Amino acid sequence: MITVYGQCLAAFVFGTTVGVLVQRSRWCNTAALRDAMLFKSYRNTKALLIAMMILTVGFTAMISIGNGNPMRFDVGINQFIGLFLFGIGMVFAGACTVSSWVKTGEGNIGALWALLFLIVGLFVSSLVWSFSFWPLAGPSMTGQANAAALQLGFADALTLQRDTGVPAIVFGVIQAGALYTLYRLILRRERAALVPQGQETPTSIERAASPALGCAATMAKPVSSTRDTLSTLGE
Amino acid sequence: MDFFKKSLDPIVALAIIAVLDIFLFMIVGAWTVGGGETMIAGLFVKSLVGAKEMNRIPFWHLVFKPTWAYWKIYISLGMGFGALVSAILSKEFYWRVPKHLSEWVMITIGGLLMGIGIRLSFVCNVSTFLGLTPEMNLGGYLAVSGLVIGAWVGTLVYKKVLEA
Repeated sequence: MITVYGQCLAAFVFGTTVGVLVQRSRWCNTAALRDAMLFKSYRNTKALLIAMMILTVGFTAMISIGNGNPMRFDVGINQFIGLFLFGIGMVFAGACTVSSWVKTGEGNIGALWALLFLIVGLFVSSLVWSFSFWPLAGPSMTGQANAAALQLGFADALTLQRDTGVPAIVFGVIQAGALYTLYRLILRRERAALVPQGQETPTSIERAASPALGCAATMAKPVSSTRDTLSTLGE
Repeated sequence: MDFFKKSLDPIVALAIIAVLDIFLFMIVGAWTVGGGETMIAGLFVKSLVGAKEMNRIPFWHLVFKPTWAYWKIYISLGMGFGALVSAILSKEFYWRVPKHLSEWVMITIGGLLMGIGIRLSFVCNVSTFLGLTPEMNLGGYLAVSGLVIGAWVGTLVYKKVLEA
């Protein structure tokens, strides 16, 4: 059993490694969605899908052998509403939670400003929760469906494995297969887009992408010459 | 130090992060950022108003008791620290300040919406894509749906703003 200090140390080492790798690769979750929608550029989307595939396999293996620490909270419609607002917010800010920290570390005052107001938003919402007590959280969670609270109870692979007797690996294989299919579709779409233009690499498309909105154009440049062209997070 | 002289393929970066995340999942839990940011918000306000006032707010009494001994905080601080070190070693650290008022406004609204969204859903984008969904949690599927639709709406609105 790892101590609290051990947990914090492991988290810091992990976070530091993530900070270095994301800074060097310029990966951005906002760009993974926005650039795919706006520019049909999938550089960040493909990386996200690969990570999701690896994690699906890894977490399924862990859950199957009774290892790991899955998140436990009552699933509800609040997850959809909350992340809908988050999705709008991250496009407006031009950064997600990861790139906000990473860009702050690079000296981006706009990213620091986004983090400050993210904290303000969190605190204001905590005050609202203190009046509404919705969505259910902490001691009020039951793990059971609760129609009045728009909650569906716990519903992860571990719960499904326990409740239905179907091994988690079945769900894992289906999900990994779905992610792989999506990845292949993106590769096919990229190839289809490149051939008529006579281009050789996706980077060419990313270079051609408008710099008005995003990471895509920035990503394609050599890191040594990379300037943060996310318009909302400024220079 | 060649590592800091050239760009890293994001697929390689995310694959390494995913493998490390599996080990983190075994030790404490999957990678998440929103939980740590929530606790940082609580600690920040607690330092301003004091523990007694903070305890009067049910959320901070029942759900998130502000404490520094919360591992998720250190993921966020680590990301900032790692990026700082990496930016300095690769000579990419420099102060960047948004130039236009419109940028400040968009960042402010965006930051607020992200904070409200995290608190409402109890997850962030990282735990959506790289935590809940790989754990095959129904909350992950709901959150992914919301996030993709939200990003799409945000992109449309942002395009309109730029065009205006």
